[in-house]
Amino acid sequence: MELTDERRTEVYESLLLTRRFEEAVLEAYESGGVPELPHLSIGQEAVGVGATYALEEDDWIAPSLRTRAPILMRVPLEEVVAGMYGTRSGPSEGRTTQHHMGSTERAILGTTGMVGSHLNVAVGAGLSSRQLGNDRVSTVFFGDGATTRGEFHTALNYAAVEDLPVVFVIENNGWTEETPIGQVAAVEEDLIEFAGHDLPSSVVDGQDADEVIAATAEAAERARAGDGPTLLEMKTYRYRPHAEVIPERRDEAEIERWKARDPVTIYRDRLLEEGIVDEGWLEDADASIRADVEAAFQFAREDPLPPEEAMYQVYADVEVDRDGGVVR
Amino acid sequence: MSELTVRESINQALAEELERDERVFLYGEDVADYGGLYQVTAGLQERFGEERVFDTPLSETTLGGTAVGAALTGTRPVVEIMFGDFLAIVADHLTNYAAKMHFNYGDGTSVPLVVRTNYGAGDQFGLHHSQSPIAWFQNVPGIKLVAPSTPHDYKGLLKAAIRDDDPVIFLENKLRYETEGEVPNGGYTVPLCRSDRKREGEDVTVVAIGGMVDVALAAADRLATEGIDVEVIDPRTVVPLDKEPIFDSVRKTHRLVVVHEAATFGGFGGEIAAEVAEEALFHLDAPIERVGAPFTPVPFAENLEEAYLPDEDDVIAAVRNTLGE
Ligand SMILES: Cc1ncc(C[n+]2csc(CCOP(=O)(O)OP(=O)(O)O)c2C)c(N)n1
Ligand SMILES: [Mg+2]
Repeated sequence: MELTDERRTEVYESLLLTRRFEEAVLEAYESGGVPELPHLSIGQEAVGVGATYALEEDDWIAPSLRTRAPILMRVPLEEVVAGMYGTRSGPSEGRTTQHHMGSTERAILGTTGMVGSHLNVAVGAGLSSRQLGNDRVSTVFFGDGATTRGEFHTALNYAAVEDLPVVFVIENNGWTEETPIGQVAAVEEDLIEFAGHDLPSSVVDGQDADEVIAATAEAAERARAGDGPTLLEMKTYRYRPHAEVIPERRDEAEIERWKARDPVTIYRDRLLEEGIVDEGWLEDADASIRADVEAAFQFAREDPLPPEEAMYQVYADVEVDRDGGVVR
Repeated sequence: MSELTVRESINQALAEELERDERVFLYGEDVADYGGLYQVTAGLQERFGEERVFDTPLSETTLGGTAVGAALTGTRPVVEIMFGDFLAIVADHLTNYAAKMHFNYGDGTSVPLVVRTNYGAGDQFGLHHSQSPIAWFQNVPGIKLVAPSTPHDYKGLLKAAIRDDDPVIFLENKLRYETEGEVPNGGYTVPLCRSDRKREGEDVTVVAIGGMVDVALAAADRLATEGIDVEVIDPRTVVPLDKEPIFDSVRKTHRLVVVHEAATFGGFGGEIAAEVAEEALFHLDAPIERVGAPFTPVPFAENLEEAYLPDEDDVIAAVRNTLGE
């Protein structure tokens, strides 16, 4: 994939948007009000941004509970924020939270609160591409914790057996909620050792968006060429606790070590060093992204709650009343 | 007697059974060092060691399958499933294995495991962390389904569940871990498969399940100020059901309201209503009323979730309906 200077500034803008958005979520949460409990991805932005950037707009994406970037890159900001507030303009009129949103138009596969159940679903999207004869690739993001579920093995195996166009992206942040992954995964070093299946796999520096883009682009190309799935393990880290209600119990030194390899800073420094942008551009970009985020929060705070009928959307083709009876 | 929260009473029950029976062990996701997402198992690893209280990978299949295997071979596993919604993943091992091995073996063997999990809407945790899964399992002979309402019952029933030879799904209402109540000092158990009359009354029988018992009692208190005398029955063990006390109560009051948190349609209330219709129809002076959620997933938005959850007003309206008011 050819990364022109202009494209790389876009990558930076997406990194920064994800960062500023989540900082704003945290601020709103701490000042007393976001109905959706935040599971922030601050520190992990390069994985979602880089991988999404390497894909076509109509390639399917199935995010993990923590993959915020692809949603922000494909969905208008107001809609995402409204999805956190459970207001009328959210992706499902308040029926569900934004991080499980699905949108066929934007090629986002809806997810559930079952960590890892989306892996086989993403393989199904690859199956669909084959059946329909199109070249849409399906990319699924999931945490290290999800690799200890049977879903992981069955999804990899089936995608590999059928050569389906799927890219598996492990966002390995070292922790599955309060348990270090090393304590519950029987691998020496890397989670890709689990695979052992007949499919290419590699470990990627998840803090470097350029590395993520290169690895994902190669995997997507392989998938599109009919050569089957790839497993990518992106090493990354979340700066915040698993969810905002949970106290931080990780080692301070570990957190600091990762902060020294901050994905937004790495990219900004590189753009500056290569003379692609200057300080003035960076300041303008930041100011404009902050203003967009602020406006989206403002919008969502004023957005009305949904009407009660919004919750009776259970079937696609038949109306059912609140007591479960068919409306004739 | 001491005043304990539901959380403390469950923690005590676990500690006492771990102490009493070395075959008992406790495992799940983040239950050990962290003490469980809701801190129900806090301090237990420290007290009983890593062999008795330990963490597992993020895999309910691992938990369900190994608990069945361990229970079949001489131990008494107590599993924590972080949210009741995830029972859908363990459902294979619970319904096809745990529930059926006593039937299958024929030598008295059963599967003495306890799956502790939580349920309940009201905290905007959305459609996959709020469901009330009783109806998913009520039609599976072989599993015992327990849904307590008071700290006293939580403790006594959990101890009984751990001692019980059959598989038990023990359902904890996640909005009521802070609820306080009197709990006797020292060991006691509350028998499984026995209902409890939580309030005596002459006019209307209300059968309420789990978290809805509080709601029914609060409704009964309000109705009492108008001279309406409500009897509240808490089945405690939902399956298998202690039916006779419900029939007896209906024969006395001639009116029945059933209350639970899950959708009314297809819910457990329908089963109680059908049982009463079969056994005591001619004792009824009014149609049976069911109170439950609408037939839709638990919505996220604040106002929608509030409209979804059954509350005191719903119970009061149902009671009034049975009185023809
Ligand atoms: C099937 C299932 N089991 C357990 C949980 C509870 N849970 C939510 S997130 C999580 C940890 C996920 O860790 P990981 O996959 O590494 O993703 P991360 O949070 O680190 O991004 C757990 C145990 C769940 N949501 N679904
Ligand atoms: Mg993780």
